[in-house]
Amino acid sequence: MTALVEARALTRRFDPRLTIGDRIAAAFGATVETRPVRAVSDVSFAIRKGETLGLVGESGCGKSTLGRMVAGILPPSGGAISVDGQPVMRGGHKTTTRIQTVFQDPFASLNPRRRIGATISEGPIAHGLVTRAAAPAFVADWLTRVGLDPAVATRFPHQFSGGQRQRVAIARALAMRPEILVCDEPVASLDVSIQAQILNLFLDLRAALGLTCLFISHDLSVVRHVSDRVAIMYLGRIVEIGAAARIYAAPRHPYTQALLDSVPKLRLDAASVEFRPIAGELPSPLSPPEGCAFHPRCPRASDLCRRERPVLTAQPDGTEVACHHA
Amino acid sequence: MSAPLLEVTDLRTHFLTRAGVAKAVDGVSFSLASGEILGLVGESGSGKSVTGFSLIGLVDPPGKIVGGSIRFAGRDLVGLPPEEMRALRGRRIAMVFQDPQATLNPVLTIGQQMALALQAHARVSDRAAAERAAAMLARVGIPEAATRLSNYPHEFSGGMRQRVAIAMALLNGPELIVADEPTTALDVSIQAQILAEMKALARESGTALIWISHDLATVSSLADRVLVMYAGRIVESGPVGEVLRAPRHPYTRGLLDSLPAMAEPGQRLRQIPGTAPSLLALSPGCPFAPRCPRADADCDAPPPRVEADGRLFLCHHPLEAAA
Ligand SMILES: Nc1ncnc2c1ncn2[C@@H]1O[C@H](COP(=O)(O)OP(=O)(O)OP(=O)(O)O)[C@@H](O)[C@H]1O
Ligand SMILES: Nc1ncnc2c1ncn2[C@@H]1O[C@H](COP(=O)(O)OP(=O)(O)O)[C@@H](O)[C@H]1O
Ligand code: SF4
Ligand code: SF4
Ligand SMILES: [Mg+2]
Ligand SMILES: [Mg+2]
Repeated sequence: MTALVEARALTRRFDPRLTIGDRIAAAFGATVETRPVRAVSDVSFAIRKGETLGLVGESGCGKSTLGRMVAGILPPSGGAISVDGQPVMRGGHKTTTRIQTVFQDPFASLNPRRRIGATISEGPIAHGLVTRAAAPAFVADWLTRVGLDPAVATRFPHQFSGGQRQRVAIARALAMRPEILVCDEPVASLDVSIQAQILNLFLDLRAALGLTCLFISHDLSVVRHVSDRVAIMYLGRIVEIGAAARIYAAPRHPYTQALLDSVPKLRLDAASVEFRPIAGELPSPLSPPEGCAFHPRCPRASDLCRRERPVLTAQPDGTEVACHHA
Repeated sequence: MSAPLLEVTDLRTHFLTRAGVAKAVDGVSFSLASGEILGLVGESGSGKSVTGFSLIGLVDPPGKIVGGSIRFAGRDLVGLPPEEMRALRGRRIAMVFQDPQATLNPVLTIGQQMALALQAHARVSDRAAAERAAAMLARVGIPEAATRLSNYPHEFSGGMRQRVAIAMALLNGPELIVADEPTTALDVSIQAQILAEMKALARESGTALIWISHDLATVSSLADRVLVMYAGRIVESGPVGEVLRAPRHPYTRGLLDSLPAMAEPGQRLRQIPGTAPSLLALSPGCPFAPRCPRADADCDAPPPRVEADGRLFLCHHPLEAAA
């Protein structure tokens, strides 16, 4: 099958915003941070039609930055993202409605002073997907599809629970009729029982609408559940990418191995468990280590690792791994 | 058998709000021995944090402990004069909050804060305080601990701040630590480090630990016993392995079945329908009835409290016991 979404060498730097005071202080020799944050570096991948790619990694590794570039809401500093070969952004602006986004905190992404019915129909009306006259029925239909009572269309976001707000955010994204959905931590702030309800809704709608998804989460069991393939990020780069079943069963990259090892698993036996934390801290994206960025924490690091950055290399089973000694 | 370190009996902490009385904790009983780790699980709003705050005497108005007792090392903490409670808090009982910001003072260095915490309860020289503080920071995995004492909280990452907050809680060698979702906001790699440290602490120093969390996986690998809370009550408790392997209460079963780990990848999860009830309008019957697949007319009456072999559950129609 051919790729629907293609990311080629995506890179995103954030330059520190220096105030005039900072500049003067720097001129007088004070230590002012002038290095850019390298949030995402040279990331390439493809998502096939109907496939869900899961994206995991520790806080600050660049997941959201990558997701926002894929969704066309953050311009890359380098590289490009395309759908069916067409660029998603042109001149710093999103050129397509084929990709929509659902974020972790729907409260922050829903306008607090607008009734949710208006929030859901706003985009579709602007893009001619529905007429103003037909909007109420359209909104009622979407609310029903995400498991809400159509009568709630006149309510404001604060009148909903976290799980209900996430349903509204899903309805708003899907009402734009996207083929591709970027979900950034959509269940992270929810209780397990509500998380299960939202994950089920996601699975149902994904199947019904044939959606292609990028699903971002730091929760490895959630990603395992929804993904066909997974990508593991470390300090702005993908270190391993491949079929979810394969990577979870036999991770190859030392970081993926350490990450899977350190997750507490549901234990139903009485045996005592040893926790196996990853040594050391996540380094700063301001000054990523030379060579392989994982080398200061890696039990297999060699001189080569300290010198040369490993590139993503395809393995016989189709998994790609960036490691000199995998 | 010696008396347990902590014995909570029929604890009731209510919030007297304008909209009515929210019975956040309503008849909670449990006990805890030295060196034991107790997991307290339940959905958001079930009363876990209020239970924790009640134990350390930090329930703010309109909240109030309206009944029950909290016997700690032989003394009832309910009704203890505030100065005596303050003397206990931070020395013999410590709490770690979900947000380390709640513990750390932004305008003092970590070293100053740790010294103050030590000197509040004992005569300790500045030098000895610095040494003990550095040793404790090293123990929770802060590299170059001695030099980090002169740093302010904002100079640490979120994960390190939480480790500092945990080090502060451990400083005076408390007999009981109440930890309220301390690793929820942390990455798995840092979480694993803190869990390892907590487990070692309970085993080696005999510290008793109450670990409040909605994460059953974490609790299953950390705790000895688990309390499952719903709408202000303990609906099930027992040894963690037994309870999770063969829950008797339908709510515990539902929580377990909600986990992605319990289903085949890509398959629908067995979700609990509906949401937690409002604590303002609880019926006299079982509060879980509107969401329970086993509910019938019997459940309009308060469920019986069934206790045997270290297990406890409150239900008219419990699930089968393990074979
Ligand atoms: N607008 C911005 N300005 C400056 N730095 C930024 C900005 N947005 C992100 N960053 C930095 O880029 C890096 C990656 O951030 P990003 O939000 O993508 O991480 P993440 O993997 O989504 O983390 P989390 O799991 O915490 O959501 C971080 O170091 C972050 O501080
Ligand atoms: N300051 C407060 N005022 C009124 N009600 C409160 C207050 N704090 C907590 N409550 C009530 O107590 C219940 C339990 O809260 P909490 O213990 O924080 O839940 P959990 O920690 O289990 O998520 C909440 O549903 C809320 O109704
Ligand atoms: S390249 Fe070297 S340091 Fe990096 S993960 Fe592989 S073995 Fe470890
Ligand atoms: S008492 Fe009834 S409603 Fe409550 S948990 Fe048991 S079976 Fe369900
Ligand atoms: Mg993010
Ligand atoms: Mg809480």
